[in-house]
Amino acid sequence: MTEPVTAPKTMTPAPSEAVVRITGLSKSFDGRLVLDDVHLEVHRGRIVSIIGQSGGGKSTLMRCVNLLERPDRGTVEIAGEVVHSGGRTVCRDLPRLRRTVGMVFQRFNLFPHLTAVENVVLAQRKAGVPEQEALERAVALLRRVGVAHRALAQPDQLSGGEQQRVAIARALALKPEVLLFDEPTSSLDPEATREVLSVMRELAADGMTMLLVTHELPFAREVSDHVVFVDGGRIVEEGGPDSVLGSPSQARTREFLASYGSTS
Amino acid sequence: MSGLFQVPWSDYQSNLLDALGRTLAYTVVSFVGAVLLGLVVALLRLSRTWPARAIAAVYTEVFKNVPLLAIIFLTYFGLASVGVRLDVFTAGCLSLVVFYAAYLSEIFRSAISGVHAGQTEAGQALGIGRTGIFGHVVLPQALRLALPGTNTMLVDLLKSTSLLVTVSAAELMSEGRLITSATFRALEVYLVISAVYFALCYPLSQLLLLLERKVRAGVPLSPWRRRRLRAARALLAAEPTPDAIVKEVSV
Repeated sequence: MTEPVTAPKTMTPAPSEAVVRITGLSKSFDGRLVLDDVHLEVHRGRIVSIIGQSGGGKSTLMRCVNLLERPDRGTVEIAGEVVHSGGRTVCRDLPRLRRTVGMVFQRFNLFPHLTAVENVVLAQRKAGVPEQEALERAVALLRRVGVAHRALAQPDQLSGGEQQRVAIARALALKPEVLLFDEPTSSLDPEATREVLSVMRELAADGMTMLLVTHELPFAREVSDHVVFVDGGRIVEEGGPDSVLGSPSQARTREFLASYGSTS
Repeated sequence: MSGLFQVPWSDYQSNLLDALGRTLAYTVVSFVGAVLLGLVVALLRLSRTWPARAIAAVYTEVFKNVPLLAIIFLTYFGLASVGVRLDVFTAGCLSLVVFYAAYLSEIFRSAISGVHAGQTEAGQALGIGRTGIFGHVVLPQALRLALPGTNTMLVDLLKSTSLLVTVSAAELMSEGRLITSATFRALEVYLVISAVYFALCYPLSQLLLLLERKVRAGVPLSPWRRRRLRAARALLAAEPTPDAIVKEVSV
């Protein structure tokens, strides 16, 4: 019960250590190039936001990190280990890799046949965590994201905000080195969005390494260390949140931000 | 109508009970076999290798499009004519298994592919292996989807055991025919036999509906799930002080 919920933060700061390193990544679907020679690094304890229009390749880029999509070219490195290179998956044990990368989906994807607490327990048990320990951790995580009072409810009895918070607890259960958020608030109403963003803000404050695809530009600006603007399968612009979202240098970025009406 | 019930039913009581037991034995054995074979065929049908898919498709189409009575005659009389003599119970069960497995495989296949792809992805993202995802994520949800169709098939199978009268399988219908030929009271006898089938099938289908509702409501049916939820409830009841929460989950 005294274990930290997020990955242990190294006492000696190692800012150059990349938890995720993607180099020269390309990916096409049915001959259509959706990602073209993309480079991306997420350093330990940092928060990187990927922004851009729908269909621009942001989600695909994120899904390449835990190999839900296999890149055609380029290299994916997780915690210093090359897991995919030149169109081939190098990592022999994908489940082990994926346990170091937590993921939160747009549509929550909770297991509907299990209660909230069982959703958080399942992967732990499959990873060999003893039953009681897994349960204790699940309950602690549900408390942390503020849904412990709904721990015995089925997902369809939960509001969208509650479901997404359970999904965050589930993603944290295996103490991942990095958390991926794929448009975590895009299917939520404003109230639920606030709930989920506040949980994410707390995780950020705790030093969790995060990579997020989001349309919540004010939130991205607030929590991110680095913002990447992806358009047409390429990184058009990247840098600090204030520079990319406040004073973008590329015309395409300005156009995108104007269409969102949130260049402030 | 006053003379409708003239058969000395008490004389046939033990025979009828035997026949009832035989009907139930055919039903249980054939259903278990059909579920297992149906699941295998469904998995072959969803396999990534095409020969497996082809074999399963041919199997399903053949047995879905041949009458059950023809299958019964083929396994009992047909196989016997080429030297494969099966006793009537084996032949009867085999016929029911191969016939119902074809239907069940279709129900199972659509149930398995009806589980949202996001579920498999969530399992993958959590680092659960292929068998774990199938066993703990896909199959339980497919089971829920397959339950209504499967239940219909179970009741249908029970009624279809009556076709085994054609091979004198000593089940309810065969017993009815024996009593009829001894008493010449076809209306009375077959009314009673029909009533017995109804008395079996109606409660069974109601029970299965109840099961469906419970499963849909997420009632934990397995003992280990109940144990896990009990343990979770105990942990949740032990309300920690706000201080302890901070301590136990902080970085």
